[in-house]
Amino acid sequence: MATESESNDGPFTRWVQGAISDPERTYRAMFYVVMIFFLVTTLFPLYYLLVIALTPTSAIQDMGLLPKGFNPGAFVEIFEVVPIHFYLFNSFVLATVTTVIVIALASLAGYVFGRLEFPGRVPLMLSVLAISYFPPAAFLLPLYQLFQGDVMVFGVQVFPRVINTPPAMVLPFSALFLPLSIFILTTFYSQIPDGLEDAARVEGSTRLGALFRVIIPLSAPGVATAAVLTFISVYNEFFFSYLMVTSGKFTNWAPMVYGILNYQTQYSTLYNLMAAASIVAVIPVAILVVVAQEKIVSGLTAGALKE
Amino acid sequence: MGTETETRTQRDAGGGRSGAYTRSVRWLETLDESQFAYLLLAPVFLLLGLIAFWPLLSTFELSLHADRLTGATRVGEFVGLQNYVELFTGQKALVNPFFSLEQPLQSALVVTLVFTVVSVLFETVIGFGQALVLDQDFRGRRWVRVAIILPWAVPIVIQGMIFYLMFQPGVGFAVGPLSDLGIISSQPFNDLGSSLLLIIVADIWKTSAFMALLILAGLQSIDRSLYDVARVSGASRVQQFRYITLPLVIPTVAVAMLFRTIDAARVFGLIEASGAGCTTVPSLSCQVVTTFFTIGRYGTAAAIAFTTAGIISLLVAVNIARLARGGL
Repeated sequence: MATESESNDGPFTRWVQGAISDPERTYRAMFYVVMIFFLVTTLFPLYYLLVIALTPTSAIQDMGLLPKGFNPGAFVEIFEVVPIHFYLFNSFVLATVTTVIVIALASLAGYVFGRLEFPGRVPLMLSVLAISYFPPAAFLLPLYQLFQGDVMVFGVQVFPRVINTPPAMVLPFSALFLPLSIFILTTFYSQIPDGLEDAARVEGSTRLGALFRVIIPLSAPGVATAAVLTFISVYNEFFFSYLMVTSGKFTNWAPMVYGILNYQTQYSTLYNLMAAASIVAVIPVAILVVVAQEKIVSGLTAGALKE
Repeated sequence: MGTETETRTQRDAGGGRSGAYTRSVRWLETLDESQFAYLLLAPVFLLLGLIAFWPLLSTFELSLHADRLTGATRVGEFVGLQNYVELFTGQKALVNPFFSLEQPLQSALVVTLVFTVVSVLFETVIGFGQALVLDQDFRGRRWVRVAIILPWAVPIVIQGMIFYLMFQPGVGFAVGPLSDLGIISSQPFNDLGSSLLLIIVADIWKTSAFMALLILAGLQSIDRSLYDVARVSGASRVQQFRYITLPLVIPTVAVAMLFRTIDAARVFGLIEASGAGCTTVPSLSCQVVTTFFTIGRYGTAAAIAFTTAGIISLLVAVNIARLARGGL
């Protein structure tokens, strides 16, 4: 595959001459070199996790390309040391609940922005967009005080204390990832021909009837795209996952972030378990990427490059 | 758009449901299109108002209040822009300086700037390369695409963990050789320069894919017949790239870079999870968190948060202007 320049002068000269006379061949060779380079650089860190995970704790020293020993038992031990499965479960629940909320709200907003004409449409849309650009740190302080139950208006507590419970994470997640889904769904809804909706209305279906019977079924691919991206985003999120749970206990709905970090803080020499836990936590998103790669590609591009 | 016929059919309104439901469906029919739009948007803006708009204003309000006793000032007293003035003149005693002329490299502003600029530049170049590879037709392209997207889907905490395991002295093989060469120190996570370098590498590893996907979309929107014309005219591959691909894909690259810049400027999780920690690498987001949680100075933390938001708003304004020109 890759072009090998050899120390011997003959073949090398021949190869250079070939390259000059047939540039296409050189481009092809270059392409394969570059492609393999990218494959190695993107996959090596994940492979390295496997190397560490399979090496027994005592043998971990200056790890290179191959595991020293073979200890698949690490993948069982991780569940015994830190109940990583509960943390993963928490992350799944938080991601699922957030996805449901985001899809419900973004479907409404996407329909309105994509299909209706009304005064203030552009400013409202821009305000939604602007939110997605602000750093989470800009919302953190008031939100933390709100979720602590410390915000008072005329001596009345505005919001119950929800730190260490799902709402403290689900609410910021929803606000954080809503704009992207609104964007994706607006694009999808605006592509549905007007005639379909008009036909349904003429046939005598109500506004909601037309929305639920005609428009929403047609937007299923857009909804799936937005759902996949939202789920992955929540699963990957660090900032609020880390700061809105003060205890770090899975019984307080601490997500996977804490499951992984607990190894670093409490079992700071069990490197093989850190790696094994990381692999287990990556598997769900890896499967999602393989299954839904088209959706991810179209969603990311629709969300960013709206011409 | 929707006809304004006020048809009320028994099939939709009713269907064995309660009277209240029927009445509300009928009431919806009496709204005009704008009212209907605002009604559907209400829940969205209720959530965004509580979780985003209000906190932003509240952060600004908080930043105008004192957080310690200085002379006649009490905690919580209104001090106007004093917090901001003290931040930029380096009078604040923080865990790490926000901005200081004496130690510019250790200040949050400079660290964030260096991280953002360097990582976005490298991501652009690498992402462009990946996009060019994915733009070709070859067997197994689907799987190469999966491999390139995979790092993007790796959770931040695990991205940090991977680099923690690679550069933990004694665990990864690379620390020894690299510190012998003087590229990183022998305890990389205790040293700002080394940590910053590793965090930049980790960021490039994870987010080049995002760049690649956006640039790929740009490449695929180029009219292929242009290349046919160029080939017939005898343009080489290099010339085709230089005179067709590059000029047509530059706008996309610019947008992608803006997105990545906005995103990189908020770096926090990677720093915490990689073992470097916020005290070693004080990014702006880090500094908000340490000032708020570690030393409990709310006014100052809010001022840092709002300044960060302000810097990013400038970038956002550029993007909004672009979108507004494009007519959404």
